[in-house]
Amino acid sequence: MRSLKLIYGTLTLGAVALLAYAVPAVAHHAFGAEFDSDAPIRLEGAIVRVEWVNPHSWIHIEVEGDGGTSRVWMVEGGTPNVLLRRGLRRECLAIGSVLIVDGYQAKDHSAARANGRDVTFTDGRKFFLGSSGAGAPADGAERRSVEAGGERC
Amino acid sequence: MSSVVRVPKYAVGKIVLGMLAVVLVPAYGQAQSSNIPRTLSGRPDMNGIWQALGNAHWDIEPHQARAALEMRPGPVVPVPSEAVVAFGAVGAVPPGVGIVEGGEIPYLPQAFAIRDANRENWVTRDPEVKCYLPGVPRATYMPFPFQIFQSESAFFITYEYASAVRNIYLHDPGPPQVDSWMGQSVGHWEGDTFVVEANGFNGQAWFDRSGNHASYQLTVVERYTMIGPDHMLYEATMEDPSTFSRPWTIRLPLYKHINADARVGVFKCVEFVTELLYGQYRKLP
Repeated sequence: MRSLKLIYGTLTLGAVALLAYAVPAVAHHAFGAEFDSDAPIRLEGAIVRVEWVNPHSWIHIEVEGDGGTSRVWMVEGGTPNVLLRRGLRRECLAIGSVLIVDGYQAKDHSAARANGRDVTFTDGRKFFLGSSGAGAPADGAERRSVEAGGERC
Repeated sequence: MSSVVRVPKYAVGKIVLGMLAVVLVPAYGQAQSSNIPRTLSGRPDMNGIWQALGNAHWDIEPHQARAALEMRPGPVVPVPSEAVVAFGAVGAVPPGVGIVEGGEIPYLPQAFAIRDANRENWVTRDPEVKCYLPGVPRATYMPFPFQIFQSESAFFITYEYASAVRNIYLHDPGPPQVDSWMGQSVGHWEGDTFVVEANGFNGQAWFDRSGNHASYQLTVVERYTMIGPDHMLYEATMEDPSTFSRPWTIRLPLYKHINADARVGVFKCVEFVTELLYGQYRKLP
């Protein structure tokens, strides 16, 4: 029984490792090709559109600026399948709900685009959004998943 | 004095409707007859290679011939844009009676403006130029054949253009898990008509080469009805509250390839557009 558990655990670890390894293959492009790891950014705003598409998902949020202006930022996330495994479902990203996104700006700093690393809901729940396997800075959050006992949204 | 006979747009619409009434109504009346092939269980047998005729793939609305898909303002009248002028008559748009019921797509004002902007920037905006997937219903009336594979438990369509495919679910799997070019399709039989509801689109597909478009909120309900052993009536109703003021319908016949060596060819155009998309990044010319 004990050895069975061990085997199961090893298999799970293997699957997680395989999943982590598989991320670059589906990521479609390297982080460094489009985003600037020296330009971290925190964005807060209401969701105006969710593109739940392969190979990358895109969450559009309207960020209030100075003097009553606002700008819609496009935040890139992992594939829908990877996000689902991390516990983040499309149903949790309703139009109008407010998110805090920690990520990295596009290399073109004038573009309202970012690579999202973490997304935090107003109630404090936090999910890893990103494509760190593609070369983005890692902090361990990318290893959390539903299979490993992580939270679902 | 111009010798060109100008037909008002509404008249074109009436002519189209009239022609449809003459051509389709008697044929449609035969749909319940025994004149169509049937499967063992008695369903219409749609297996085979099908294709649309006509010029709907240029512009689904009734239209006169025009010099090019992308025009720019000229000194007197609009002229073909720099990007397409070299194609000459090959790049000209043939006339078409259209396939839209009533003649015009009921755009909301903002969506109509996007259509015009799409037309002005056809080369850079039409997904077909970059070999992107055709979407629904555009896949049906592109100038390429497609094959229907039908059994009691499955309904599958494979299109020659870009090797696009659609697995039409016969049991609803629930909301689409991702948005995509071809969307998610669920089909069921209503008598002898196969009805498909398609949604879950990414909002980037066009209806034709003339900039007609919809958003990711598009839902398409298609109706496939055999009207003879080698003919099918195809109808599709589009609904998209962010693009159109009301649902609208297209209607056209599909023709079966009857030659013994008919087949769906290989047109994997992704590799044909690598020079267009990435040629600039190559070191050597």
